[in-house]
Amino acid sequence: MTEPMGIRVEGVHFGYPDRPVLRGVDLTVRPGELTALIGLNGCGKSTLLRLTAGLLRPAEGRVLLGTDDLARLSRRDTARRVALLHQSAPAVPGMTVHHLVRQGRYAARGPLGMLREGDDPVVRRALRDVGVESWAERPVDALSGGERQRVRLAMALAQDTRILLLDEPTTYLDLHHQLDVLRTVVRLREERGLTVVMVLHDLAHAARFAERIVALRDGRVAADGPPAEVVTPGLLADVLKVAGRVGRDPEGGWPVCYPDHPLAALGHENHIH
Amino acid sequence: MNRRFAALVALVVVCAGAGLVAGRGMSPSALWDVVGGGGSLTERHILFQLRLPRLLVALGAGACLGVAGLVLQSALRNPLAGPEVTGVTPGAVLGAVTATGLGFAGWESPLAVVVAACLGGCAGAALLWLLAGRSAGDPAQTAVHGVLVSAVLGGLTAMVLLVAPGQLGSVVQWLVGTTEGRVWQHWHLLWPWALAWTAAAWLLAGPLTLLRCGDDIATAAGLATGRARRLALLCAVALTAGAVAAVGALGFVGLLVPHLALAVFGADLRRSLPGAALIGAVVVCGADAAAQLATRLLAAAPDGGALTLPVGALTTCVGAVLLLVVVRRAPDRTF
Repeated sequence: MTEPMGIRVEGVHFGYPDRPVLRGVDLTVRPGELTALIGLNGCGKSTLLRLTAGLLRPAEGRVLLGTDDLARLSRRDTARRVALLHQSAPAVPGMTVHHLVRQGRYAARGPLGMLREGDDPVVRRALRDVGVESWAERPVDALSGGERQRVRLAMALAQDTRILLLDEPTTYLDLHHQLDVLRTVVRLREERGLTVVMVLHDLAHAARFAERIVALRDGRVAADGPPAEVVTPGLLADVLKVAGRVGRDPEGGWPVCYPDHPLAALGHENHIH
Repeated sequence: MNRRFAALVALVVVCAGAGLVAGRGMSPSALWDVVGGGGSLTERHILFQLRLPRLLVALGAGACLGVAGLVLQSALRNPLAGPEVTGVTPGAVLGAVTATGLGFAGWESPLAVVVAACLGGCAGAALLWLLAGRSAGDPAQTAVHGVLVSAVLGGLTAMVLLVAPGQLGSVVQWLVGTTEGRVWQHWHLLWPWALAWTAAAWLLAGPLTLLRCGDDIATAAGLATGRARRLALLCAVALTAGAVAAVGALGFVGLLVPHLALAVFGADLRRSLPGAALIGAVVVCGADAAAQLATRLLAAAPDGGALTLPVGALTTCVGAVLLLVVVRRAPDRTF
């Protein structure tokens, strides 16, 4: 197992001419940590992930991967350190699962290395990690939404990076497959010491699987800490704009949300113990 | 996969054979005599000095156009991109026609034609790039801008033709695309150019395959997309210019061959780029054989002796039909 790598986001501003997205974000992700990013649509979660993956350049501030300033790393060196699972991706007619996952090896092999056939053990491991090795030769076009999500996760894993960023990895998936993907991520993180940051919309998943929750609101960090501290009725109201109550799982102790609870709006004590 | 390549190579050989047999002025049995070492001086001349170079030029130009089309479509992520509709071919034609019209180039100086076609092709592509900008990946946008650029370049070509009609006969050949009258000199100029740029395109197979996955995925996987795209476009322009300088603007070959190549060899460009070269060669060579056969049949008709069917007319007619098929089933999904 290689040494895990941390992330430091320092005073990052980013925006489009008519719309600021991030207004001074500071965030330190410790090596090997599993962090969930939550917030409303358009609050800058995906933008923060894309900045961390080097797909966007901050207008102000900087992003460090380990000790390296992202702005000084080449495209290829960045892709060797950090992999990003995109929210969606365009169709690639005619490509098979194995072939798509193999594209994740680009940073490791380079343009000429991609020409060689070579049976890449990392590709095989990535296919096995998400349990899709049996359909390696199927065309990507013929897969269902959930299957494609897993294939794209395999593609990100094929980059063999120490930092894994996931932008809504559970979109399009039914509950069974949502948990499947999240458990895979948790397991790989433990086995390989990956540092994981994922955007999640389901607070229940964030509270259950993440060690740390970072809530964004209007381009700033609104709350940051372990789920038990961060997930409160106040967070639901301020960050997610829903009235709700928060309880505890009787055995596990992690917070459980009851959004839109009929009693929540009546001004009752919304912490249920 | 290897079987498919073998089948294609066999098809190339068949088409080449047909191309050698199909022409006018020599019967198949006479051809057989020449191959066996006999035949008259005229017949030997027809085969070795006229038909063979013409066949090779057709094969080479077809391969160039096929590869150029696949490179363009992958780099722009646009199934409707092709040298003809992105301003590359019309620009190359304008360059060749202008150079000929101004007297810099002609049949005696084919190298000047290649250079002029290259410059024109680059100018055409640059014009489209300026107009379309970031929307170059959007098929509809590129098609609209491509039509604009092609119309403007076509208009300029017509102006040159009107001003300098001296060599009209040979110049018109570039507009339609023909392999008529190509000799060894053309082949000697075409093959090193084609070989060099096809090799360059193949070296870009890895980046191009990633570009097909979309810019986000390609960038995240570690590809500097801007640079890869510029290199790919340079390859596509150079290959197209080489083909245009050799045989003129063969319609639709560069647009449709990539679709066949992808259907047969899949989205792995390490395989489909050589596949596109072979399919392009088959298509142009086959069309040339068909055009020659049609010309021969026409010659039998009264007053048909003077008619020569250019191969470009044939590829354009067949290509238009195939393009309709492609447009109707162009995928537009995300995953």
